[in-house]
Amino acid sequence: MNPIGLRWGDAVIGALASALVIAAFALAYFPAGGARVLVISQAGAAPQHEPLDRRRTLEVTGPAGITRIEIEPGRARCAESPGYRNICEGSGWLQAHGDIAVSLPNRLTLQVLGSEPGFDSLHY
Amino acid sequence: MSTESRMLIRALTLLLAASLLTACGRDEPDTEQLSFYAFGTLVELTLHPPGAYDIEQIESAVQDELEVLHRSWHAWEPGSLGRTNELLALQGEFSAPPSVLPLIERGREMEDLSGGLFNPALGKLVAAWGFHQDEPAGPPPDAATLDALLDNPPGMGDIERNGVRLRGTHPDLQLDFGGLAKGLAVERVLELLGELGVEAAIFNAGGDLMTLGRPQERAWRVRIRHPRGGTLGSIELGAGEALFTSGDYERGYDWEGEYIHHVIDPRSGRPSQGVASATVLHHDPALADGAATTLMIAGPEAWPEYARRMGVEYALLVLDDRIEATAGLAERVALDPDHEPLVVRELP
Repeated sequence: MNPIGLRWGDAVIGALASALVIAAFALAYFPAGGARVLVISQAGAAPQHEPLDRRRTLEVTGPAGITRIEIEPGRARCAESPGYRNICEGSGWLQAHGDIAVSLPNRLTLQVLGSEPGFDSLHY
Repeated sequence: MSTESRMLIRALTLLLAASLLTACGRDEPDTEQLSFYAFGTLVELTLHPPGAYDIEQIESAVQDELEVLHRSWHAWEPGSLGRTNELLALQGEFSAPPSVLPLIERGREMEDLSGGLFNPALGKLVAAWGFHQDEPAGPPPDAATLDALLDNPPGMGDIERNGVRLRGTHPDLQLDFGGLAKGLAVERVLELLGELGVEAAIFNAGGDLMTLGRPQERAWRVRIRHPRGGTLGSIELGAGEALFTSGDYERGYDWEGEYIHHVIDPRSGRPSQGVASATVLHHDPALADGAATTLMIAGPEAWPEYARRMGVEYALLVLDDRIEATAGLAERVALDPDHEPLVVRELP
């Protein structure tokens, strides 16, 4: 006699339900961390979201000129931007969740986001 | 199916639903942000919780306040500070604009605390290096000009104050509150946000920031940029913490192959050397601002001594070949894995 009254079918359903619960937690709390979207924030404008799904180039015009942004699957970079010391370009490829580049002359920030919660602010 | 197994499956289903709902909730940001250009830099405001505030009213009020402060405190454009400098140069007594008095008092305090490394009275020296213009440019001052500026240089003690009446007592006295004004502006904006009913926010002015309150369920998460590009790491902040950095990358120009940056060492009269950036975490934003500049000027060897003098427990300096920090900040900063471990410097 089964002490808790479970039949084999109950056990299968229970196991499946448990696996689903564990998978849901894993998806929620152990994200891949890879970048999926680029957020372009420019002073005085609504943030622009660009999915990191295919190779392309964007140009954003700011007060100091044009910032050229290269996008590839899973990453993006500030390829060219006005500014004396190439600080925006120096950030290199942004590919991990939260990676960020700043162009003060053009008053914009570029940040890639993955599936985990982002940062609240950038100190520089 | 037995009663027990039905109860077990029901419990698991509820747990599954709860976890999926939680997963959905994770994608919903618990803050909202607005950014605009003010105080000569990019300003960003992060507010918690989203949807709780009148964003347009807050943006307008903060922008107006920063515009007033920027005009009043600007080191070389016409305004209250410019007028004060003109009158100080005449060395007669005059009534100071009220907006300038807090700068002068905090400037005196920072000069004392820093043993003179932070000296807002050296505006003429800063101007001689080409930094009193929107786009800094050379040529740097020649040796004779530097010698003259460093021979009996002015200090904050060369301002006599009697109530709101001031008098300059040094012919070369010219105030420049770069390295302090932003800290005081941040302090004022946080007061304003409080008056507007904001309970939790980060106010970020050109990368220097301060928190007001915090979300109930978590700390603020702040990414820290490396002065040479990319990111250095991150830090979690609680309520009422200001994070300020002074760095050689902020303003500068190339002259005959040499990079000239804007942080001038009053001892040599030349741009400070050996420290790419100095970061200070403190509850007082004006002190954090002034101390960051002071530690950068103090240099790689002496900075812990000046941190102690100024009551700074949390500091981090990026040097040419390593990153140093106080024990307090080393515990709180999560460095990115591609950087060497922090070198901890004990305060004397």
